[in-house]
This record gives sequence, C-alpha cells and structure tokens, in this order.
Amino acid sequence: MKRSDLTGVGLFVLAAAAILLLPRFVSDFRAQQFAYVGIYFIALLGLNVLTGYTGLISLGHGAFMAIGGYTTAILVSDQGLKLGSHTFSADVKDIWTIPLAGLVAGLIGFAFGFPALRLTGLYLALATFAIAVAMPGLLKYDRFEQFTGGGGGINLFESDARTRPLETTDPITFETVAEPIRFLGVEISSFNEWLYYLSWALALVMLAIAWFLLRGRTGRSFRAIRDSELAAASSGVNLATYKTLAFGISAFYAGVAGSLLAIATTFVNPDTYPITLSIFLLVGVVVGGLGSLWPLVFGAIFIQFLPLWAQEVSKAQGAPAVVYGVILILVMIMLPGGAAGLIRRLHSLTSRGYHRGR
Amino acid sequence: MRRPRLLLAVLALAGVIATCATAATSADPGITTKTILIGGTTPLSGTASAYASVARGANAYFKYVNARGGVNGRTINYKTVDDGYDPAKTVQATRQLVEQDKVFAIFNSLGTEHNVATRDYLNAARVPQLFVASGATTFGRDFKEYPWTIGFQPSYRAEGWIYGKYLARAKPGAKVGVLVQNDDYGKDLLAGLKQGIARSKVKVVAAQPFEVTAPDVQSQISKLKASGANVLALFATPRHAIQGYVFANRLAWRPLIINNAVSSASNIMALASEGGANKAVENSVSIVFLKDPTDVKWRNDAAVRLYRSIMSRHAKGANQKDVYHVYGMAVAYEFVKVLRAAGKNPTRAGVMLQTRKLNDPSNPFLLPGLTIKTSATERFPIEQALLQRWSKGSWKSFGGLWGYRAG
Amino acid sequence: MAEFFQQVVAGLATGSIFAALALALVLIHRATGVINFAQGEMAMFTTYIAWTLIENHGVNEWLAFGLTLVIAFGLGLGLQRVVIRPIERAPLLTTVIVTIGLVLIFNGLASLIWSAEVRAFPSPFPNDTWEIGGVAISQQDVGTFLTVLVLVALLWAFFQFTKVGLALRASALNPDASRLVGVRVGWMLAIGWGLAAMLGAAAGMLTAPTVFLDPNMMQAVLIYAFAAAVLGGIDSPFGAVAGGLMLGVGLNLIGTYIDFVGAGLRLPVALLIILVVLLVKPSGLFGKPITRRV
Repeated sequence: MKRSDLTGVGLFVLAAAAILLLPRFVSDFRAQQFAYVGIYFIALLGLNVLTGYTGLISLGHGAFMAIGGYTTAILVSDQGLKLGSHTFSADVKDIWTIPLAGLVAGLIGFAFGFPALRLTGLYLALATFAIAVAMPGLLKYDRFEQFTGGGGGINLFESDARTRPLETTDPITFETVAEPIRFLGVEISSFNEWLYYLSWALALVMLAIAWFLLRGRTGRSFRAIRDSELAAASSGVNLATYKTLAFGISAFYAGVAGSLLAIATTFVNPDTYPITLSIFLLVGVVVGGLGSLWPLVFGAIFIQFLPLWAQEVSKAQGAPAVVYGVILILVMIMLPGGAAGLIRRLHSLTSRGYHRGR
Repeated sequence: MRRPRLLLAVLALAGVIATCATAATSADPGITTKTILIGGTTPLSGTASAYASVARGANAYFKYVNARGGVNGRTINYKTVDDGYDPAKTVQATRQLVEQDKVFAIFNSLGTEHNVATRDYLNAARVPQLFVASGATTFGRDFKEYPWTIGFQPSYRAEGWIYGKYLARAKPGAKVGVLVQNDDYGKDLLAGLKQGIARSKVKVVAAQPFEVTAPDVQSQISKLKASGANVLALFATPRHAIQGYVFANRLAWRPLIINNAVSSASNIMALASEGGANKAVENSVSIVFLKDPTDVKWRNDAAVRLYRSIMSRHAKGANQKDVYHVYGMAVAYEFVKVLRAAGKNPTRAGVMLQTRKLNDPSNPFLLPGLTIKTSATERFPIEQALLQRWSKGSWKSFGGLWGYRAG
Repeated sequence: MAEFFQQVVAGLATGSIFAALALALVLIHRATGVINFAQGEMAMFTTYIAWTLIENHGVNEWLAFGLTLVIAFGLGLGLQRVVIRPIERAPLLTTVIVTIGLVLIFNGLASLIWSAEVRAFPSPFPNDTWEIGGVAISQQDVGTFLTVLVLVALLWAFFQFTKVGLALRASALNPDASRLVGVRVGWMLAIGWGLAAMLGAAAGMLTAPTVFLDPNMMQAVLIYAFAAAVLGGIDSPFGAVAGGLMLGVGLNLIGTYIDFVGAGLRLPVALLIILVVLLVKPSGLFGKPITRRV
C-alpha cells in the first residue's frame, strides 16, 4: 500500500468517527437533515462513477432511485400489493430490503447499458432523461396499480400496526418504552438518529467500496473511456463491458439511495422521484466535483440545504429559486471544478508537491 | 413497515419535547401564554404555484385577528414552508415544522398526495392535521384510521355527485364526455359524477384522461367531441380547463360545459372566454361555496368588504380578484372559531375534539345558507353547495342548496 | 376518417409549438455546442416581457412582438458574455449546470415580477376556425405552423448564405481555425445565444395564446422540444421541425388508436419510439453521423 493510501485510510477512519459523534452535538431534527445528506451522498457517488469517471452523462438517476425506493416500499408495505398471484406482506424487515433494492436497480441499470452503448453524449443524455420522465408515468399506470399503488403511492408507515403501543404509552413517565436500540454501544432514542446512523453507515461503506473499485483496473478503464473512447478501445479496454458495468454500478448506488429515501420519507408515490431529482443529482455531482469521491459530500450538502437557506433569504414567491440559481451560477463560475477543484487548489497551495494518487 | 419500538420512541421523544416545552399553560408544543404557532406546506414554487394564494389569504386573516388581540390573548403565528408541490418535500417540510419549529398543529397544507404522505406521521405523532386543502374523499372518509386529520372544502366526490344529480334532473338522457385529470382529484370527481347519475338515463359516453404535464389537451377534446357527447365535464385544474373551453370553441363544438370548482374562479372563466370571442363559456355550470369577490352580487356584502380591507392591509400587492384568497380566509376563520371554542388553554386533543362538533352556519366567506357541520360519524365539514351558471361575463347562482348524500 | 384527420391536424398544431422551441435548441447547439436547459424559461420570460409591454404599457401588439425579439437578442447575448464566457474552459457539464441555474432564475423572476397567475396572451392570428370536410382547422394553428416553416427557412438561409451564418458555423466547428481566419469567435458565440434567444421568444409568443401564459408554461414544451430536436438530429433545423411535427402527430395518433396507452403513458411511449429510432440512427433522422477522431 502506498503512503498516500495509508493517509487516506487514516483520514477515513477519523471522518467516520466524527460522523458517528455528530448527533451528540446537533439537534434531533438536524440529524435527520444530515441523514438526507448521507442519502444524497450515496446517490452522488453512484452518479459520479458513471458521469465523472466514465464520462457518460445521465439525466435519469432519479429513475433508478425510484426503482430502489419502490422495491423497498413494495416489499415492506402492508397495503396488500400484488404481482400476479403473489401478495406482498410486510414481514420483511425494511433494512434488509436495501441491498435488494440496490440490486434490482443495478440490474436494470446494467441492462440499460446495452442499448445505451450505441448512444453518445447528448443522445445518451436524452435517453436517460427519457427514463426519468417516463418513470412517474409508468408508476402511475392503471394496469400496474395493484403492484405499484398507482398515483396514491405506498405508505411504509402503517398506522394501525401501532395503535396498540400508542395506547399504552404515557408521555410523561416513559418507562413503558421498549428497550432502546443500540448501535456500537451508543443508544439511539429517536427515528431521526436511527436514520442518520443507517444512512451514514451505508454511505461510509459505499464510499469505501467505490474507492477500492476505482483505484484498480476498473477505475483506470473507466477513466480511459472518459478521456477517449477510441484510444481506450485500441488499448484493449472492452467498451461494452465497462460501459454497462458503469451503468450497473451507478444504478446500484442510486437504488440503495432511493431505498433509503423511501425509508426516510416513509412514503413513495410517482411524484416523490420527479425529473427535478435527476437534475439536482447532476448539480450535486458537478458542485461536489466530477471524478472525485469524498468531496461529493459537499455536493450533497449543497442540494439538501441550499433550497432551505434560500427560503430563509426571502419567502416571496419565486425569490428562493432566484437565490438558488444565482448562487449555483456563482459557484460554477468561481469553482468550475466544484468542491474537489477547490480542495485540489488549496492542496497544491499548502503542500509541497506531494500528490495523492487519483 | 412495522416498527413499534421506534414509534414508541418517537412518541416518547414527543413527550419529552412536550414536557420541556416553554409552555406553562399547556402540555403541547407550539403554544405559550402569548402565542400559538401553527404551520403548513404550500406550493410557492413549481407547477401548482398559483395555489399559494390559499395560504396567503389565511395568513392575511390571521394578521387581522392578531391586530384585534388574537384569540384568548394569543397571537397566531402561521408559518408556511414551500414544498414545491413535491410530496417528498412535503414530508421533510412537515417534519421540520413538527420537530424543529415545534408547531402546535399542521394547518391548511395543500395537495392530495402531499397530505396523504404526511398523514401517517402526523397521526402517529398525534399532531393535528387541520383543514387539509384538498377535496379528496379520503380525508373525510377515513377518520377512524386517522382521527387527527380533517378536511374542509366539499369533497370532489360530493361535487361530482351534485353535477350528476343536476344532469339527471335537468338534462335526462344527456351524454357526458369527461376531460379527466389523471390523478386522484380527477378520478374522485368522475367517481362522484358516476355515482350521481346512477339509476338515471344520463350516461358517461367517453372519459379522456390527461397528465398535468401535458402541454395541451386538443387531442382529448377532439375525441370527446367525436364520441357524440352533448355535455362536456371539465375535471381539470385551471390551465387545462381553460384549454378545454378554447379547443371546444375551435372545434365548433357547443356542448353544455360543466366546470369543476377548482377551475371556476371568475378570472379563469374570463381567460377562457378569450375576451368574449369564445362563446363556449356561455351557460357553463359549476358549483360554488365561496363568495367570489368579482361577483357583482357581493359587491357591497360586508364579508367581501372585510376581505378587501384585510387584503389591502395585510397582503399588499396580492390580486384581490383571486378567489383562492377567499378560501384561505374562510378556513382561517373556522380555525379561529375552533381555537376559541377549545378554551383558555387549548390542547391538541382539545382542538381535534372541537373539529368533531363543528356547527357553523355563518362563516362570512361562505355562501349564505351553507353550514359547516361535523359529527362523530360525519367528518366532511362542507358538503353543500349551490349551482351557478356563467352568463354574460359572470356567475349567477340558481336553484336551491344541494347537499351530498352518500349512497 | 374525419377523426383521423382531426387528430393529425391537432398534432401538427401541437407539433409546431414543439418545433419552434426545438429550433432554438438546435440553433444554440449548432452555434455553441451547448444544450441550453434554460431555453424554455428564457422563452417564457421574454413572452412575459411582450405581455407586459402590451398590457401595462399599451404598446401595439406587433410592435411589442418586434421589441421583444430585440430584447431577447440582447438578453441572450448578454447572458453569454456575462455567465457563459467565464466558464468556457471548464468541462461541458459545468455549462449545463449553469443553464440549470438560469432555469431557476428565470422561473423565479417570472413568479416574482408577474406572479404565478394564469394569463391570456394575444395571438397575431385571428381566432376563427375553418371547417373542411368535417375537420375543424383553426386559423391560429395554421398561422403558427406557417410561421415555424418561415422561421426554419430563414434560419437555413441565414446559415447558408450570410457571412455571419458562415462565421457562426465555423466557430462552432473549429474555433481555433476560425480565429486564424479572423473570425471573432467569442462574439460569434454571443450572437449564437442572442439568435437562439430570439427564436425562443418567437416560440414562446406562438405557444402562449394556446397554452396560456404562466411561469411554468414552457416546461412541458421543453421536454418535447428536446426530444424533437434529438429525433430530428441535434444540428439540423429542418430535422427539428420535422421531429416536432412527427412527435406532435405521433403522440395524438398513439393516444387515439392504441387503447392501452392512457394519458400517463403517452410521453413514455413517444420517448421509447424516439429511443428506438436513435438506436437505428444514432445521430437522429436528419443528423450527420458523428465522426470521432482520436
């Protein structure tokens, strides 16, 4: 292992520790917001594999998130959804559906990679855009309503499953609370904290996976394709394999993120994964930095918090959008390389030519 | 998903919050001796941004009430958060209001799926989901499962039913073509219509759905005309309802047009009449339950004058002709009444109790004769409406009060 | 049979609207290599400017249309100089993100300045309808259709026969060589944006009478225009119009004659068809195949 790798691992462990401790210092609701940051971070990691590393633009990752989210929702809901003669019932614990959701999305993404091989640049962007636009329509489609819950969507939280515990809880003396959940010895006392730990545990794991994946041959092949497909092909990189792989991996990440989003929101419907989600994922990747990994967390923070801050500036109808747009443009003009670009610049200013391998 | 432990934990936390709340007078958050904080989501941005007027009207009314000393000495702070008409954002924003801002109740949140998305959470956390701004039938029908939720406006199903019964009486043998928006709102209206014409000779001969994102509905109107219908029902939000009129006119088709309440505001009808060139608007029928500020009949009405003065003072620059503002004031008025009835130290449960026994025949912003009424078994506050006919540039109500009877 | 023709006529009318905006997308891509997500919002915004000139300042309709085109040109030009030029050297996606920022700004500004209320917009064409063989053809639709044809002809002539058009094509194709020949590439890009904004304004003003003016008017149209432009070949103005018309007619016929395609599936099915076309002809129907050099 190179020295740079060891430093990387060390920093990773430090960051993980900081992330684990964060909920102690922020309010419960903030923890929820940071959980969403973690969820977007996973989605951005995936999108980055496809767009930043392999150079294939996707305007449709919201659709893969939808696939993941709906997979989880269908498996976990009490609503009596059916596929053929099989009725889904909620005897699957929701967190076990997450990898499955990722897998389903990943396989579909992988399959999508094949026809996508014929398309380049803009045309590929349109194809992915088409999926994102089509997804809500497909989810609302009457014939699938029994399976997808149609326009009304699927509730993951079912109220009647909890009416009994409701009656026995005394809000003042809460001795009747069942034993609390623990994570690494830390007691978690609220849904928000649980969500935070779940999202970030997964985010850190998936960051590590991405890092391993991309530093080897796979990563080099991806980057070769991005820099020049012809050169890559003539150097022996199998375009078909790696492009479809890139799609599959990025869709897997999006599926996991989508599944987490469903768990976080406790509700899915065709409009909870709109085309704007796909567009803002792309915004997040560029703001975080194309072709980077951990700096994408800044992209996630950007897309989660900026809409809220913009509303603080002015509530007048239309004003928050203007604020957001102006800040976005300023960020792009000043930091065309995103947060990662800024970090690189600071790094080269402060270090003495010590380069981290990319 | 079944998480009894987590939900217990949420409730326990809510309990902790409640006890630690600044309130000396009440165990519920969001209320102090001087203020009460309520919150709601509204589409300030996105495709439904025209409906932001609902929250704006309510807010203006609260400012008026606060200027007069508030309710039992408390000022009402109404915090609205933009959800861009995206249910996922509605959930986040609602959680923010409940967990970060610690509101007393969620009030007047707009949108059908949006309120469905937050309903489970709010009911589990025992936060009142008051006067949902949506006519979807589920909000009044499913109160046993969701006791903390209540709607306000006439349900879409009731509205469709009234149209159906009207046609059965006034145009027996009519053939109805329906332009129906492809979501629960449109479908509810259509279901109500079908219920109303059951056991009569009126038939729905064609129903053309369309997506809210469709650029125009020319193709659908054309198919409806081709179906031989002599009544056209527009179950669409304003932009597409207007187009319904425009294309019917362009195709030289003159059916009797029924326009749904959401799209029947006078300014919308004026747009549809294309400056007088479009005669398809003549004799359109719709229901009405609010006082339209552009209707000459109400020009000197005390409530409408009050409306104007409140808007001028507390919502400067807003378009007073927009009837959604009146809706906002109507619902805010009722909330103030409920709050007052809940006593000197209102609690969440107390407020919900009051919503179960509403009996208000004199909400000034509603048409005279309409009574807001709920009971232990009936949770649709407004189930009555008048019919009105558009003629020569304005609506004129006709006939008696219609009241919805299920079954 | 009359029903079929009616749907075709309706499709051509809707398709003309797609085609108009698609032309603007094609122009900006051809002149600058960029896909401008904000084309629709800019079109909407400039249409509001026309509206405000007519409604609030009592300007004569035709004069207002003309003024708006000029203002749109200035707006496009200005945007390129101020917002796009600083990121010329950055990767393509940076520019895409900037155009997304512009979408937010224009949409927000329109809401802020003129509120989200739906408004009527006057049409330059009379509101009458002709009836031919049981098929109703509105004069407005005919007017829109003809205007789009005129626009594409003008655009083609511009690129083909004028010096500026030639310079624009050269700048997009090979900026360095163009500079060597004396073309001021920077200004060519700006002019490209200005012209595209003008086309967009025309598209907006053609769309608003039918669809009615509100800040979200062009969003649905943009999706279809994008699809139409790609279907026809992103660099071909003629392809954009053909694509738009085909898309308009196709959508209607699919919706009418294929029963299981309800409202929700119209657009996905149309997009699927476009994708299939792209698989067979990856550069669009009338586009030139892309040659890639190492």
